[in-house]
Amino acid sequence: MNAYRDQYAQVFKNGRNVVLLAISADVDTALASWARDADYPVLFGSDTGSAVGKAYGAYNAQYKLDNRNLFVVGPDGRIAYRATPFREIDPTSYTELGAAINKLVPADTTAH
Amino acid sequence: MSLVLAALLQQPAAPPAPPPGPPALEVGVVAPDFAIPGATRYGTLKNPVRLSDYKGKTVVLAFFFKARTRG
Repeated sequence: MNAYRDQYAQVFKNGRNVVLLAISADVDTALASWARDADYPVLFGSDTGSAVGKAYGAYNAQYKLDNRNLFVVGPDGRIAYRATPFREIDPTSYTELGAAINKLVPADTTAH
Repeated sequence: MSLVLAALLQQPAAPPAPPPGPPALEVGVVAPDFAIPGATRYGTLKNPVRLSDYKGKTVVLAFFFKARTRG
């Protein structure tokens, strides 16, 4: 999750028209505690019953946890990109993910 | 030796591996909606997180193993 945080500005456009939702089987209080301690600018989802993981095909039946799969859902509600698994520590993963997001999100032309 | 072989042959078979999870959704399909408890670095959310609340935006769903791990 550290890499997501470190790439948040560049790949996830600081959350402008992009929502990064990190999902695991942890309870919401555990996710909030971890997010606070590590200062993650990320929205977390608590999938304790793994219903979402099963619906998306991310569920690992052996460990009863969600695999590190990633899906980009476009503004039309359809899956526009997927990485199964997403290799969080591989820099090329972010290049590909960033390109997928850039196709969906117009460039921010706001002066900073 | 033959006794050892006989004993090995009588070992029960390993339990079958659990079935793999369902296949990952393909690009192009409609993303299933869901509503789950949410959290941020500022605490837990009062209302559930619904994918449909973000229609019109790009949403990155990043599944991971467990909090406070590298997964």
